[in-house]
Amino acid sequence: MTKFVKNLTQRNETYIFIVIVVLSLMIQFRSGQFFTSNNIVDQLSALIVPGLFALGAFMVIVSGGVDVSCPALASLSMYATTRILVDINYQGGIFLPIIMSLFFGAILGAINGVLIASFNLPPLIVTLGTSSVFKGIMQGVLGSVQIPVIPRGMSSFGAASLFIAKNPQTGLTSRMPVAFMALVIVLIIVYFFLQRTMYGRGLYAVGGNEISAHRAGFNVWMIKFLLYVGVGMISSLAGLIRVCMMTQAHPTNMLGMEMMVIAGVVLGGTAITGGAGSLTGCMLGTILIVAVQNSLILLGIPTFWQGLFLGLLILVGMGVSALQVTRATKVKGPMIKGAQS
Amino acid sequence: MKRIFAIVLVLLLVFSTAACAKTAGPAKGKESDWEIVVVPKDATNPWFVRMDVGVKEYAKESGLNVYQKGTPEIDATLQSQLIQDLIAAKVDAICVVPVDPGSLEPVLKQARDKGIIVIAHEGAPLTNVDYDIEAFSNDQYGAFIMDNLAESMGEEGLYTTMVAHVTNASHNEWADGGVKRQQEKYPNMTLLEAEPRVESEDNGDIAYQTAKELFKKYPDLKGIMGTSSYDAPGVARAIQELGLEGKVFTSGTGMPADNAELLKAGAVKALTLWDPALAGKAMAALAVKMLRGEEIKDPVDLGVEGYTNLKFKEGSSTVLEGEGWIVINAENVDSFGF
Repeated sequence: MTKFVKNLTQRNETYIFIVIVVLSLMIQFRSGQFFTSNNIVDQLSALIVPGLFALGAFMVIVSGGVDVSCPALASLSMYATTRILVDINYQGGIFLPIIMSLFFGAILGAINGVLIASFNLPPLIVTLGTSSVFKGIMQGVLGSVQIPVIPRGMSSFGAASLFIAKNPQTGLTSRMPVAFMALVIVLIIVYFFLQRTMYGRGLYAVGGNEISAHRAGFNVWMIKFLLYVGVGMISSLAGLIRVCMMTQAHPTNMLGMEMMVIAGVVLGGTAITGGAGSLTGCMLGTILIVAVQNSLILLGIPTFWQGLFLGLLILVGMGVSALQVTRATKVKGPMIKGAQS
Repeated sequence: MKRIFAIVLVLLLVFSTAACAKTAGPAKGKESDWEIVVVPKDATNPWFVRMDVGVKEYAKESGLNVYQKGTPEIDATLQSQLIQDLIAAKVDAICVVPVDPGSLEPVLKQARDKGIIVIAHEGAPLTNVDYDIEAFSNDQYGAFIMDNLAESMGEEGLYTTMVAHVTNASHNEWADGGVKRQQEKYPNMTLLEAEPRVESEDNGDIAYQTAKELFKKYPDLKGIMGTSSYDAPGVARAIQELGLEGKVFTSGTGMPADNAELLKAGAVKALTLWDPALAGKAMAALAVKMLRGEEIKDPVDLGVEGYTNLKFKEGSSTVLEGEGWIVINAENVDSFGF
C-alpha cells in the first residue's frame, strides 16, 4: 500500500488531478455552478475537439517531434469535404463525410510524414511550413468562404445527443453530443496501439533515442510515416466534428488552437523531448485547459484578465508537477507504466 | 536660334497640357456623355455582386452611363491598375471601395490631377478623394443594434455586450454607442456590471461557449448585444441548446445568407447590417451631384434610402456619414441575394 502511495506521488498525473480538483472546487465555490449536471456535460462537449487534437499532438510529442499543423490540416480537410458535399448536393448520412475527411486527413498527414521521415527534417519546421501551405491551399486554391448551410446528414449528426442533462434549479439544459463517442473510440484505438502493439513500443523508442530504436530493429521510417498519417486522420475527424457541431463551416475558426493543445499535453507530464508520457496525463492536462478556458466567466475573472490568468495557471500547473517529479525521480519515468492507468 | 525655338516649343507644350488639365473639371459636356465607374474590391464577392445590383438600378433610374467594373480577385495591385486604365480612358468619375487605402493614394492623386472626381466608400483614411461615404457613424450604429435588442427584450432586463476583441476599435465603438443609447432611452435595462464586455474572438464557437457560461453564472441575464458577425449566431446556438428560446435574446451584425436558417428558426429575431446596393447607389448619386456642379453642404441628401441626411464626420471635411443601416429578419432575409 505504501508503495502504491509512493508510486502515486512520483507520478505527474496525480498532481494534475489534484490541480483539477482544486480548480473545480474553486469554480464551484465562486459560482455554485460547476458540479451541476448540465455544466459537466458542457465541459465534456467542449472537450471533444481539443481532446482529439491532443491525442494527435501527444503521439507526435512522444515520438520526439512537435506538430503545429493539426488545426490547419483539419481546416483544409473539413473545408474540402464540406465544399464537395455541398456542391454535389449530398443528401446522405454522416458515413461518407467521415470517410472523406479521414481520406483527406491521411493524404495531408502523409505529406508531413514523408517530409519528416524521409528527409529527417525537424518536425516543428516542417509542420510550420505545411501549416502555411494548407492554409494557402484553402484560401487560394479553394477560395474559402464561410459555408453557412452544411449537408443535412452532417448537421443532424452534430445536433444528435446521447442524452440531455437538465439542471433542476435553473432549468437549463445541455446536450451530450453523439460526437463525444468519437473521442472515446479514438482514445481506445490510440490506447490499444500505444500499449498493446509493437508499433506503440516503437514510437516510444523512437522518441527516446532514434538511433537506439533503429539498432533495436524498429523501422523508424515506417513508424514516423504512419504516425503522421494517423495524426492527420485524427485531426481531420476533429475538424469534421467541429463543423457538424457548429452546423456551419468556417475555414479559420480552428487556427491557433495548436498552442493550447500542446500546452495541455505537456501540462499532463508528457516530456517535450519525447519518449515519455502517458495517455492519462495527456487527457488530464487537456481537461484542465478546457475546463479553465470554459470557466473563466464562472470564476468571475474579468475579460481583460483572462489571458493573464490562463497563462499563470499553465506555468504554475506545469511548475508544480515538474518540480515534484524531478524531486521524486532522478531518472526519466518509465514510459510504459502509463498503461496501468 | 534653333535652341530657343525648341525651348519655346517645349514650354508651350507643357503649358498647353497644364491648361488642358485645368479645363477638365466638373460640369462639363452633356450629361449623357458622362461616364461614372464604380470599382469594388472585387467582382465575385457576394457583397459586391449585391453592390452591382444597386449600381445597375441607379443607371436605369437616372439613364446615365454608370456601371461597376471589378477585378477578378481581391488584390490591391490589380485594383490600382484598373483605376489607372480608367484614368487613361478619361472617365468622369471613379467611385472606389479600396482594398488597401494606403496603397491607392498615389493613383487616386493621379486621377484627381486629371480632373476626375473620386468618391470612396469604407475608405475614411484616404486623403486624395473628393468625398468618402460611410454607411453610418459607429456610435449611431451601436445605438441601432441596441434598439433592436431592446425591442426583443421588451425594453427591460439585464444585458451585456460582446465584441470580437476588447482591442477592436469599431466593435467597441458600437458597443459603447449601444450602452450609451440604453442609458438614455431604456431606463429599465441594466448593464451586467460584473462582465460588461466579453470576447468572442471572431469565432462562432467561442461566442457559443462564452454565452453558455454567462447564462449559467448569471441566471437573470436577458440579452447579449453582439457586434461581430459571429456573435449573434454563436449566442443563438447557446440559447437553443440551453432551452432559453423566448426568454433571452441576442442581436448583432450578420450577413443574410449566413443567417437565413437561424432567423427562420426564430433563434434570432433580427440582425442588422448595411446594404452594399444602397452604398453603391449613394456613391454614384454623389458623383452625379458633383458633376452637375452642385455644392456639397452638410446635410447632404442623395435621394437614396439611408443616405438622405449625410453629415460630415467630426473634424473631417471629406468623410460623410449616413444612416444606412438595415434590419434583416425572417421575412426579408431571402430578398438580398448575398
